[in-house]
Amino acid sequence: MTLNARIPDGPLTEKWDKFKDHCKLVNPTNKAKHTILVVGTGLAGASAAATLAEQGYQVKSFCIQDSPRRAHSIAAQGGINAAKNYPNDGDSVWRLFYDTIKGGDYRSREANVYRLAQISNQIIDHCVAQGVPFAREYSGLLTNRSFGGAQVSRTFYARGQTGQQLLLGAYGAMMRQVAAGRIELFPRRELLDFAVIEGQARGIVVRNLLTGAFERYAGDAVILATGGYSNVYYLSTNGKNSNVTAAWRAYKRGALFANPCFTQIHPTCIPVASEFQSKLTLMSESLRNDGRVWVPKKAGDKRKANDIPEGDRDYYLETRDPTFGNLVPRDVASRNAKQVIDEGRGVGKTGLAVYLDFRDAIASQGKDAIAARYGNLFDMYQRITGEDPYEVPMRIYPAVHYTMGGLWVDYHLMSTVPGLFVLGEANFSDHGANRLGASALMQGLADGYFIIPYTLGDYIATSDMEPVETDHDAFGEAEASARARTLKLLSIQGDKTVLRFHQDLGQLIWNGVGMSRSRKQLEQTIADVRSLRAEFWQNLLVPGEANTLNKNLEFAGRVADFMELGELMARDALAREESCGSHFRSEYQTADNEAQRIDEQYSTAAAWKYTGDEQPPERFSEPLTFENVKLTQRSYK
Amino acid sequence: MAFSSISNSEKSKPRKSESRKSDHVAPPAEMWQSSIGKKILTGVTGLGLVTFVVIHALGNLTLFFSAPTFNYLAYVIERLRPLLYLVEFSLLGLLLIHIAIGIRLYVGKRSARRIAYTAYESAGAPSRQTLASRTMIFSGLLLGVFLIWHLATFKFGPVYRVPGSTDRDMARLVFETFQQPIYTASYVIVLGFLGLHLRHGFWSALHSLGVATKPSVFMGSDDLGRAISIAIKGLPIAIYFGLLG
Amino acid sequence: MKINLSVWRQENSQSDGSFYNYTIENVQSDLSFLELLDMLNEQLMAKGEIPVEFDHDCREGICGSCGMMVNGQAHGPQKKTAVCQLYMRNFKDGDTVTLEPWRATAFPVIKDLVVDRSAFDRIVAAGGYVSVKTGSAPDANAVLVKKTDADQAFDYATCISCGACVAACPNASASLFTAAKISHLALLAQGNPERKQRVVKMTQQMTAEGFGDCSNHGECQAVCPKGISIDAIAQMRREYIRTKLPFG
Repeated sequence: MTLNARIPDGPLTEKWDKFKDHCKLVNPTNKAKHTILVVGTGLAGASAAATLAEQGYQVKSFCIQDSPRRAHSIAAQGGINAAKNYPNDGDSVWRLFYDTIKGGDYRSREANVYRLAQISNQIIDHCVAQGVPFAREYSGLLTNRSFGGAQVSRTFYARGQTGQQLLLGAYGAMMRQVAAGRIELFPRRELLDFAVIEGQARGIVVRNLLTGAFERYAGDAVILATGGYSNVYYLSTNGKNSNVTAAWRAYKRGALFANPCFTQIHPTCIPVASEFQSKLTLMSESLRNDGRVWVPKKAGDKRKANDIPEGDRDYYLETRDPTFGNLVPRDVASRNAKQVIDEGRGVGKTGLAVYLDFRDAIASQGKDAIAARYGNLFDMYQRITGEDPYEVPMRIYPAVHYTMGGLWVDYHLMSTVPGLFVLGEANFSDHGANRLGASALMQGLADGYFIIPYTLGDYIATSDMEPVETDHDAFGEAEASARARTLKLLSIQGDKTVLRFHQDLGQLIWNGVGMSRSRKQLEQTIADVRSLRAEFWQNLLVPGEANTLNKNLEFAGRVADFMELGELMARDALAREESCGSHFRSEYQTADNEAQRIDEQYSTAAAWKYTGDEQPPERFSEPLTFENVKLTQRSYK
Repeated sequence: MAFSSISNSEKSKPRKSESRKSDHVAPPAEMWQSSIGKKILTGVTGLGLVTFVVIHALGNLTLFFSAPTFNYLAYVIERLRPLLYLVEFSLLGLLLIHIAIGIRLYVGKRSARRIAYTAYESAGAPSRQTLASRTMIFSGLLLGVFLIWHLATFKFGPVYRVPGSTDRDMARLVFETFQQPIYTASYVIVLGFLGLHLRHGFWSALHSLGVATKPSVFMGSDDLGRAISIAIKGLPIAIYFGLLG
Repeated sequence: MKINLSVWRQENSQSDGSFYNYTIENVQSDLSFLELLDMLNEQLMAKGEIPVEFDHDCREGICGSCGMMVNGQAHGPQKKTAVCQLYMRNFKDGDTVTLEPWRATAFPVIKDLVVDRSAFDRIVAAGGYVSVKTGSAPDANAVLVKKTDADQAFDYATCISCGACVAACPNASASLFTAAKISHLALLAQGNPERKQRVVKMTQQMTAEGFGDCSNHGECQAVCPKGISIDAIAQMRREYIRTKLPFG
């Protein structure tokens, strides 16, 4: 199979405009005759549903939460990038494009990323018009900050709740269309399968999470905007309900899954405290601007932090990288933390943490200055840990919080199944091997507000399709398989709960496909995950019934899919014999312990094709060509 | 499906710019149904009534100067009869609206939560929930009943004449009434409920009218409620204990 | 420590519910309250019983999924905290904790501690937005907004739609929720053109959903996990008064 990304011809800067100029349009009166099924209501899904409905399509919108507004985009903190150059500090569309492609360690498509940078400005305009309360100057103008080590201030933000505010803007736009009768909402529905008819995605089968009923919905196209799969690690910063199931069902129906091993690990999270800990909480990485990261020099030093004298402390980031010190990129900071912890020098009750110390910053700048900058983060830390970071150093640990991999899509955001479009974190498209801070919100909204309305229209206008009804055999077969799988989960009646299986899986993936990967460990992980999966189908305990609200049953279905995804992640990591961005293979590193890319061989997107439960999946490569940027080796020295 | 009801009703009533225009000035009658309108009406009528209570209390205080002053005030009010009728009818109107909405709010509240909590506790500051706020319907209804009794005692009570004049001797009626221990005690207790009603009511009325009230206004309202209550209670107590001649 | 739980269990919206008592041993103080419920559910499943259902997702106080009455207080004893961010260090060994679902006619119980809050979505659908079409916006800096207004609007916009305001209100009123959205948009120039119909329609929908009327108990602002002030309600009333004025 050759993967055709359908990138328009012409110079990079003109591709998107050219596409818009020449794509086929749908007659306004015809739009109302087309039903579009949008699954997921995060930034990408909500913005797509709202915009398509505004344009006149009949939209059916599905989400697993009780309200579309609760999708996990709501938890994004930092901000959203745009090339507005309001601060006049030299930013431009080109620079945003360049930083994003370089940040992704040259594993994303030039054309996609350039389009993203171009659209970034329209997103800000639109969100402001919706009433998103971005931070402002006393002049009444919008303000920006520098984020994640960028040299320009291009990040727009709404305190630490930018994702929430952007999502509520998109949700409001959706609800306006609900009132106008152009969007029909289906909350508390979980997608379990697709109806693919004559090679086209024409419908979905969902389970009503309140009644357990399997419901069929037909349409002319399906848009998946179902987020990332960080929860394969069990502990992550994702919401508890975030899952891969919709994307995984698509994979099993023929959509290729790309770069699953590209998962981003954020260095400043609040560490794990107990066996029943269910989730990790992210703290803004801006904390590293003033906090100093350290561990004791000696392994097993159990003294309290404040009792450890200066001479016994190892400020390992500052020692290893005197230039960037505590501000090294996310993956470097995370990997170094893992290394010192593996050496037995981790701190806290579990030993799975490093210190982030504000003692010197408080001494030099005063407590008030630090409180003004980080007060809310310090409060949050104290609420969760019960420790006062003004008095004792914070303890931090890396946590998974974003997955760059996802369903493979072309320039039109269409998967390898015609009519199945994938937006936002659920696709693999724009972040390459590593996502820059404040780029996730930008991508989700670019996909939903500004890209899909054009590319979907082009698809509808150029595709031949007969009307389908939900009594078509494809629906029957999809529903039967979804039902059988759900009932199977209930019927095992073993003695190990979903939570325990998920914890075990998370541990395997974290150890094997986490911050540092190696051939040996990956091979072991594949074997371990397979045997855990076998145990799962033998010994799972799901209580209750299928025809009622039963969250354990929902979770069981999701964990079952994570079991399969975990194996694919390990396979992908094994097949990519290089280090790049977030993917660090210990066999491939420079003398400075930096990621060593192998561009000649792996300047590609890897896309995996499902071939059956018992056969290994097939790997396809989409070559990435760089005509406009020169590939450089990252160096923070 | 929860949402079909919205979309259907909206479909049958297409949104046109003309129909939107009419929304801009909602008709006054709509206030009777509106959740906010009801509160505004309660607030306005409540403030009207409290204004009357304050004036009434100030008038009562003239008895502390002398009985003739008090009687003279009664005489002046009596002479303004057409105006008096206007005021009385207005007050009656305010009162009926205030009571009717109060009862509707209470009924609405009962139907908005049909199953009560087994455990319920106020979260404390900055909550404004107090004994006063929770008992508005009871203190209010009690005051309504009291009002009838009060009018029966004084306005429609025995008519004494000022010796050597045709003017009504209200002072004597007041003195005689407040020399009865049970009457005086119940009067004072009921006025305690007036205080309670106003302690939440005054602040609440301001808030209902859109005044973003600071904690100081809340405290001030509390104090004002007490003050009015004490000012009115002062007279019967003073008379009962023979502090006034 | 040991925690005794008295939990409201109800099979579905039609059935009657009642309290069940459970005891959980070895509770660590750095467990979150929802993790305590996870522990309870593991314990129940080990005994072959049906776990307690409760809504939850982000577990960092922003999605608004979770919420229950903890000892009679919405989201429990800690101020400005959703129950997912309530930690067991707020409780003592041997404490008995009573858990009830949000109770309001407009929030029917679905199962155990899970309630249906779709009424909130319908209130927003009635007008909680700016009617701007994608692609039609002017440059973001074309319209100036005073910083103080933007900051105030943000404070109101932080509502997470958890329903604690309704749950704690003695009248089961949704005024704080509705007012937060109306006030957020009223403070911004972008929300101005639709301000009159917005307040009328959203408050009409609020009443139609069966919420009670506000009596200014102010309990809502004390339990709001985002600390939204009832000044929002005062602002909503000013917005409403405008609709009665021809030139408001």
